[in-house]
Amino acid sequence: MPTDNDNHVDRRTVLKYAGTAGAVGLAGCSGNGGDGGDGSDGSDGSDGSDGSDGSDGSDGGDDAFEVGVTMGQMDSGLDPQDHAETNTEIIVGQLYEGLLDRDKEGGIIAGLANEWERTDDGSVRFMLRDGLTFHNGDDVTPEDVRYSIRRIVFEDVGIVSPQSNDLGSVSEVTTGDGQVTVSFEGYNPIAFQLFATNGPVMQQSWVEENGGDYINRNANGTGPFQLSEYDSGNEVLYEPFEDYWDGAPEVDELRMSASSESSTRVNQLLAEETDIVTNVPPNEVSRVEGSDVASINSVASARIIFLQMRYDVEPFSSQQFRQAMNHAVDVESIIESVLNGFGNITAQPTLDGHVGHNPDIDPYPYDPEEAERLVEESGHAGVEITLETPIGRYLRDVEIAQAAANQIDSLSNVSCEVEQREFSSLVQDVTAPNIEDRPHFNLLGWGNAEFDGSQTLTPLLSSSGALTVLENDELDGLLEDAEATEDPDERVDILQEANQLAHDLAPWVFMHQQFSVYGVSDDISWEPRADEFIDPDTATQQ
Amino acid sequence: MSLGRFAVKRSLQGIGVVWGVVTVVFALRFVTPGSPINAVAPLDASQETRQAIAAELGLDQPLYVQYLQYIFDLLRGDMGFSYIKGQDVVTLVFGRLPATIELAVAASVVAIILAIPLGVISATRRNEPVDYGATLLSLGGISTPNFWLGIMLILVFAVEFNIFNTSGRGVDVGDVALSLVGPEPVLGTLLTWLAYITLPAIALGTYFMALITRLTRSGMLDELSKGYVQAARAKGLPQTLIRYKHALRNTLIPVITVLGLQLGTLIGGAVITEAVFSWPGLGSLVIDSINDRDWPTLQGSLIVIGTSFVFVNILVDVVYAYLDPEVVND
Repeated sequence: MPTDNDNHVDRRTVLKYAGTAGAVGLAGCSGNGGDGGDGSDGSDGSDGSDGSDGSDGSDGGDDAFEVGVTMGQMDSGLDPQDHAETNTEIIVGQLYEGLLDRDKEGGIIAGLANEWERTDDGSVRFMLRDGLTFHNGDDVTPEDVRYSIRRIVFEDVGIVSPQSNDLGSVSEVTTGDGQVTVSFEGYNPIAFQLFATNGPVMQQSWVEENGGDYINRNANGTGPFQLSEYDSGNEVLYEPFEDYWDGAPEVDELRMSASSESSTRVNQLLAEETDIVTNVPPNEVSRVEGSDVASINSVASARIIFLQMRYDVEPFSSQQFRQAMNHAVDVESIIESVLNGFGNITAQPTLDGHVGHNPDIDPYPYDPEEAERLVEESGHAGVEITLETPIGRYLRDVEIAQAAANQIDSLSNVSCEVEQREFSSLVQDVTAPNIEDRPHFNLLGWGNAEFDGSQTLTPLLSSSGALTVLENDELDGLLEDAEATEDPDERVDILQEANQLAHDLAPWVFMHQQFSVYGVSDDISWEPRADEFIDPDTATQQ
Repeated sequence: MSLGRFAVKRSLQGIGVVWGVVTVVFALRFVTPGSPINAVAPLDASQETRQAIAAELGLDQPLYVQYLQYIFDLLRGDMGFSYIKGQDVVTLVFGRLPATIELAVAASVVAIILAIPLGVISATRRNEPVDYGATLLSLGGISTPNFWLGIMLILVFAVEFNIFNTSGRGVDVGDVALSLVGPEPVLGTLLTWLAYITLPAIALGTYFMALITRLTRSGMLDELSKGYVQAARAKGLPQTLIRYKHALRNTLIPVITVLGLQLGTLIGGAVITEAVFSWPGLGSLVIDSINDRDWPTLQGSLIVIGTSFVFVNILVDVVYAYLDPEVVND
């Protein structure tokens, strides 16, 4: 965020004050012309120190490094264990940390634990760093870690945590001298992946002494930033935690705010009111790139977009028909024309870079003639289908669905139309307890925060998956084997085989890997992460 | 009927309207597709987790139990707990209300300051270029969607010329007042406040301004043609005195009525403007609540908006009855 020693901002500040002084003058014109003289007072405002506006970084009075982040939505409270969505995770993730963490590419790195190992009985043990403290100055103890994990998993500890699914197979947590051991119901091959994404640590006494309302408006974590001001639904201000175990961040003040309108976010960036804006739509990219104050920074995310086809209803019960749909959609052209190139074509449920990705699988080639042939062979020529899509949930979801449906509709023997649905309504059907109540054909996106193929394959394609549209014994068997295999290499082989099978079964039209597209001020240097989390503590001043 | 009885009667009617609002808003929850559980639970949450969340939120209770509980809580001043924000709804809603009132009042001030002089000038210089200009401006103001106007104002005055801020609230008006009345008054806070509020106030107030301009113009034309004005002119009173002391005064009675009613509309109608300018008021809260299926917060917000509207209406009725006792007898 620009500061007062920035010439460009000086100009802006002067203009702003002149303009506002003009507004005062204009208001004064209505009754007393003499009030127009207030305009001359605009010079008072050029002294940034006069303004008590702490939220506008451009008015700051020194060369402090201030960073503003504007997202699409604010948090749902500051309790790090009582939410399950990205925006809140970004806001509370500055304040709280787990035992392990991830680097920008998604690899597992140390967090509050600097060593971790699997014990002989399949449990996992974490050794805590020395000298860890919470923001209130109290030491982090193994009991705090135990309490935090148990608070997520066991309802009787305090809350029904929406994150319980992620750590659901934890059976018990025990503590030792500077260490914590976590046991699971059976062997858990992705225990470390789970703890690299989940399990923010809270102080037991602080939680127990304060009610839910307080915990949702205050914070006491171990993260690189500590809370300085919380204005629910409006903005959150942070200051660096000087005793942070990895050294206090370079950023002197961090401000997180939100605007649901993407154009408003881009306008804020171009007016130099913020430094990082999320989800810049493709049609706004050129405006950012064409400016002299900001640029676009994008990264392939851990989110895959696909068109689900339910295996138990015609015509999607035919594997040939499902494969035909994959041949009918020109994903490359959709990425190019609808997403301005911000996407990678996919061929399997597991994304490149995730555990179990099979590099030998190629995407279905765009081949309308082959698609028509397969439709004929399936016996469903002349069928009419409807593609249901959420509105505004994923980057250009409606436009993507319309493009895909048009291409399917252009086949000589299939008619396809789009039905737009509000996400909350669609998701109620997608998550219906019985598969019979789920949509036949719909667009969906899935974020795999653990970077492990099983976390996509199991919930979405195994017979018992919460969102499944497929029932296949062979795939179920492979996934069960992957769950029980202790040898990591062997597990990768099994998952790769499962991905090949999923490709062949074609329960989805494999679309693309979504990109996270950020607008970033030229005043800072910051690289985005693959897991959609934003880490302003890694930003540096340009 | 005395004025007091009239006020009591209107208040009782108002309570009935508020109860209706509460009931309709509560019923909306059950006819709108989408469950709040999906806003809380991850997509792949098990059915057990979903049921546990439903039980925690009280959503597993029969409809009439939920309704009666809600009414009972409301009477005790408890609007419930937002399972999305993790906070009391009362805290959330009343935390946002000042920003919305501030914006509504600022929009009204912008509108009134421009509209009344414009309406008077337009009426006194009827069929002259200034009248055509004012008519054109009014027509533009009435027919321009405020979200589009907001976006254009941002692009021109905030992004292109960097004069005002694109969005947000900056400082609240209370801080401005404190900075001006302190031992060492500073202008910086006032200027910062203006940098944030000017554009949304214009965007929200333009329609209002156009409406009042038209109302003032027609009212003034009506008054200026009346006998008492002719008599005043015959007596040789100055034109300025006739226009502003006599004619405008009478014109303002219906204008004030509309002003009062429109203030309620502004509080409820700022939803789009608040979204465009990321203004942290009730409107933004309503939009967030709808997107999140945060029913307790949405219900609380709509009840406050509805109650404000009813309250302003009652106030206007009572003031009108005070000014014109015939209304009470009607």
